[in-house]
Amino acid sequence: MIRLEELHKSYGGRMALAPLSLDVAAGEVVAVVGPNGAGKSTTLRALAGIIRPSGGQAWIAGHDIVMQASAARRHLGYLSQRPGVPLSTVVADLLALVAGVRGVLWNEAVEAVTAAGLEDRLGSTLNELSGGQRQRVMLAIATLGPITALLLDEPSISLDTEGSEEVRLTIRRARERGAAVLFASHHLHDVAALADRILVMTLGRVIAQGTLPELAVAAGVPWSGADAADPPIERIYRALLSRGPAASERRLNLVRGDAA
Amino acid sequence: MSDSLALFRFELAAARRGKAVPLFAVGFALASVAVALVGLSAGGVVVVQGFARTSVSLLQLVVWVVPMLALLTGAVVGSECHELELVAALPVSRRAVVAARWLAWSVTLGAALLVGLGAAGVVIARLSGGANGWRYLRLIGVAELVLVATLALGMWIGVAARTRLRAVGVSVGVWFVLVIGVDLLAIGALAILPPGRAGGWLSMLLMADPVDSARALGLSLFQTDVVAGPMGAALRQVLGGAGAWALAGALVAWTLVPLAIAGRRFARSDL
Repeated sequence: MIRLEELHKSYGGRMALAPLSLDVAAGEVVAVVGPNGAGKSTTLRALAGIIRPSGGQAWIAGHDIVMQASAARRHLGYLSQRPGVPLSTVVADLLALVAGVRGVLWNEAVEAVTAAGLEDRLGSTLNELSGGQRQRVMLAIATLGPITALLLDEPSISLDTEGSEEVRLTIRRARERGAAVLFASHHLHDVAALADRILVMTLGRVIAQGTLPELAVAAGVPWSGADAADPPIERIYRALLSRGPAASERRLNLVRGDAA
Repeated sequence: MSDSLALFRFELAAARRGKAVPLFAVGFALASVAVALVGLSAGGVVVVQGFARTSVSLLQLVVWVVPMLALLTGAVVGSECHELELVAALPVSRRAVVAARWLAWSVTLGAALLVGLGAAGVVIARLSGGANGWRYLRLIGVAELVLVATLALGMWIGVAARTRLRAVGVSVGVWFVLVIGVDLLAIGALAILPPGRAGGWLSMLLMADPVDSARALGLSLFQTDVVAGPMGAALRQVLGGAGAWALAGALVAWTLVPLAIAGRRFARSDL
């Protein structure tokens, strides 16, 4: 559903995203974690068509994101860190636009906003909503219609506990519907609870990827079956980051099984 | 097609909520009535001028004010294109986004202009009769043409400048060049060039400026020899009757070319 082959992005001489290859299958949830500037958003923005890749290729639902951009984006739901439209935009207008281009009936579109508990805010501008309300509206809009790939950039940002639970529910529903989900997050417990696989990035490069037990092995953090209930993801994450990109490259190979 | 329609409706809804739009309409209505009332008779009694003189007087106002408003609006909405991450991630082309924005604002500002000048037209017709009303209608047509052309130019500036502040600054500079700079250039050319060659150069200079194109088009359509700026007066003679089509064509080109460049530039931009 989502496939990247050596996709990379540079600005002038600065590499924002080193060549990245990745497959996210239908019904699979992959999380991207890393410190600020790691390349998480760059990856998602390149896939969504917000920025143009400097090289490599990527496909969404089999459509090349550059050569068949419109066809690729027809299957794509995207939530960015920013609203992505002027704050003077009225919720109903935005909903009508997304419903219109995705071929969703107006009633269904309103139901999506109703499910987020915001049916009384259809006439409000985004500026009139709280940060949490705005994020819930944007999440409802991102998942509107028959999408097969979902890209979420910090979906839990600005949300309280209840809102974060909604995000988790949304991601699970998308997975149940067979969508491929790729999300970037700083909330490691969300990542541990939702992701089938995790990419750890820093300075534009993937330094490790795999399931949580695989990452624990790569990080040298002891892992037992009992850890699945409350995984030590923060320890794993810090251990991976602290070892530097060169050492992490070896672990990446270990995770992939190339050098095992 | 339905994608483009949804996009246009979205942009139109946003444009209609623009706070400056009603002010634009009211401003033009008041200015038009004021211009009609300003004619003082020899005895000092205020009279309402008919459409013939009002149209010519308003032409000057139109070619100064409409490009300024349209350039500024275009610059702002063009620079705002770079904020449209959510729209850019939808299955619509970037070129369609620029075209929809331009069309929505053309419709909105065009309607405001029509309402403003139209309301003034009704007042003038009631007070001084409907004679020569066709000139006033042609004035509205010229105003709409220069509006859509300079709006497209403003959008190109906005898309290229990326930030609102820079876009507004550049568009003010461009306005000065179009409204004053080219006229100064024309005066200089007339002084330097031999009389036999001046006509051709002036025609080219005219086509190279949408504001002067609109001014000369207005004069041509009004079929009057009233002087309306040095450039317009000179070119009224140069172009003759058939020149109106060339001028209208130049304004259409001034709309389509900047719009195409803005669309291409936005399509290749990182947001």
